[in-house]
Amino acid sequence: MTAQQNQVIRGRLRSRSALLTLLVASVAVFIISLSIGPTKISPDEVLRLLVGRLFGSYPASESTELIIFQIRLPRVIAGAAVGASLSVAGVAFQGVFRNSMADPYVLGVSSGAAIGAALSIVIGARIGVPLLGDIPLLAFIGALLTILTVYNVARVGSRVPVTNLLLSGIAFSIFLSAVVALLEVFAGSELHALVFWMIGGFSYVELRDLLIIMPFAALGIGIIYLYSRDLNILQLGEEEARHLGVETEKTKKILIVVGSLATASAVSISGIIGFVGLVIPHITRLIVGPDHRTLTPASMLFGAIFIMLCDSFGRTVLAPIDLPVGIVTALSGGPFFIYLLRKKKGSYET
Amino acid sequence: MPGRLLVHGIECCYGSKIILEKVELNAEPGEMVGILGPNGAGKTTLLRTISKALKPSMGTVLLDDRDIYSMSQIEIAREMAVVPQASTSTPNFAALEIVLMGRNPFLKRLEHEGDSDLAIAKESMELTGTWHLADRLVSELSGGERQKVTIARALTQQPKVLLLDEPTLHLDIASQIEIMELVKRLCADKKLTVLSVFHDFNLAARYCDKIILIAKRKILAAGRPQDVLTTNNISSVYGVEVSIKRHPVTGSIYTMPIPSSARPGKRQSKGEVHVICGGGTGAEIMRRLVESGWAVSAGVLNLLDSDCESAEALKVSIISEAPFSTISEDASKRNLRRIGKVSAVVVTDFPVGYGNLRNLETAVTAVEKKVPTIVIRGSSIQERDFTSGEAGKYYKQLLEKGAIVAESVDQALNLVDKYARQPEHN
Repeated sequence: MTAQQNQVIRGRLRSRSALLTLLVASVAVFIISLSIGPTKISPDEVLRLLVGRLFGSYPASESTELIIFQIRLPRVIAGAAVGASLSVAGVAFQGVFRNSMADPYVLGVSSGAAIGAALSIVIGARIGVPLLGDIPLLAFIGALLTILTVYNVARVGSRVPVTNLLLSGIAFSIFLSAVVALLEVFAGSELHALVFWMIGGFSYVELRDLLIIMPFAALGIGIIYLYSRDLNILQLGEEEARHLGVETEKTKKILIVVGSLATASAVSISGIIGFVGLVIPHITRLIVGPDHRTLTPASMLFGAIFIMLCDSFGRTVLAPIDLPVGIVTALSGGPFFIYLLRKKKGSYET
Repeated sequence: MPGRLLVHGIECCYGSKIILEKVELNAEPGEMVGILGPNGAGKTTLLRTISKALKPSMGTVLLDDRDIYSMSQIEIAREMAVVPQASTSTPNFAALEIVLMGRNPFLKRLEHEGDSDLAIAKESMELTGTWHLADRLVSELSGGERQKVTIARALTQQPKVLLLDEPTLHLDIASQIEIMELVKRLCADKKLTVLSVFHDFNLAARYCDKIILIAKRKILAAGRPQDVLTTNNISSVYGVEVSIKRHPVTGSIYTMPIPSSARPGKRQSKGEVHVICGGGTGAEIMRRLVESGWAVSAGVLNLLDSDCESAEALKVSIISEAPFSTISEDASKRNLRRIGKVSAVVVTDFPVGYGNLRNLETAVTAVEKKVPTIVIRGSSIQERDFTSGEAGKYYKQLLEKGAIVAESVDQALNLVDKYARQPEHN
């Protein structure tokens, strides 16, 4: 075979090895994240504990079991799931909008979730209706209702023009943010909780919420991965993509819906964590290239690693203060993004 | 027959505005059909309708007797490939990756391109001369290279029908020819049905078997290039006068616009100037005279003489003689009669042989009859006398009897204005 064909095969092997590296790294970071905390538990003990749980029993002190499985595991899994969901959703949105500046919140998912959360925190908790006090549930419902509205406002007949979607998303984001601000005015003693939720973090994550939300996140990520090749072809523009056999309207709709679903599930667990869905797809693209068949799984792993690391950092660096992960991601992601922007100046035009 | 395209009764609207109506068209495998028409005539709309990018409000597009509006995008992509106008998007993919996207209609959802797909992509890139660019990013390629990669991608779909929308727009002349030669060759070798929008008449005439001329939402003419691209059709569609010639080398017809300033003036007040010329010496003075408002006649000219062709293009009235023949007495007399009616005569520095010696004799007679006669002195008479001195004698007589000498075309024009007499009406 010729040199060029080798190059293509080499390219695929390279992306495969990149994925493998990320997979190994994510497992390592997962275990390290579990071992970090006020009580030191060594990584190999964590590993033995986990393996023990899966295959029979491993004798450990009750307190260690409690710390690992009740306190740290839900939080680390939540971090991985949220990081993965936001990153993959970011890949999907950037792909559909053919704009590397798009992020999962661009259609107002975050503002919708914030409304849900704010209603739950400010009103639900006061009147004591059990379901209304469930912050993740209300945030999830708020996010889904917002997407549905944004989508239908943008729709022209059976088509959903991308520009309409963006404008509609921006308009609703602004409007809903104002409503959240209004609720903040009346929040009173609940203001602190609301502000913390909006920054995004895992302090109050419960295993039960995770189990409800994770299937949606997994479904979203899975379906986006199935549409990887279509996302590649969409980069040529919608009309050219159609001529190559892509049902663009259907593909766009599916990707927007499942991307929003993954985002909504992430936001409802963790609050509004910024920059992950924007920056992770970006950096991953720089590393593995634009092919979504690699980009999607690589972003998923990279996003999971990033959030797990940020959260571990956040809960240890100023201990006993538990720094919300949203602050850490924005503090590290923001400057890095500005650096990228300066470095690749001029190439961000659509 | 595979790849047979039949467009029937297409009508397209944007909102309430009708873009196309009652469009009929058919194209056979191995046939290259060009779509021509002014801006906004609906060429691209027609092409987009045929590729299912637009749904017409009426009419059908049949691909091998199947209605394309009932086919899925994938089914169409397996039969029909589209090369758009120079792509606006430049994603960061390597050329080979872009070309491999042409295999998309044949792959299952999670399937990767296999060796056979790679082989097809390679073959397409070799056919289009882009294989050496396989690893380059398309964003780094030139317009022509990128367009060839797009054509390679289209070929990788192994289509029966190839649609092109002004494939050579913004490309330099070398790339234009290269791409059209390529498409033509593919059309013939692979028995592709090719349908292409053109802006350039000459390119279309050169490469198409059939041309469809669209104007004001309708097909104005369809058929062989020489039957469609007539001066009448073109002037009625574009409002531009053109001259149409058959190219001596390629054998295809070509058109040249004649700017309105070079068209025979409608005002005849300035009278008529007769030009005695030949062998290409008269083209400039005839054009300049026409431009400055003179009615112009010329003669005697042999048909096929380049001056004769220039005169025809300028719609100058000609007294002509059969090609390569000695000017007959009859033609010479007609010439003289014409000269009797004009305001001035211009004699160019044409080469003189026995065949056109009578023209110089006529010029001498004109001077004798007191018709203002201007002689343009270009190359000396000795250099262009192929009659062993006889032409020289006439030339000498001409000057002796009072012909006015002009050193240049500019001066000749001034002298014509100065000495022209009132035309006789008899």
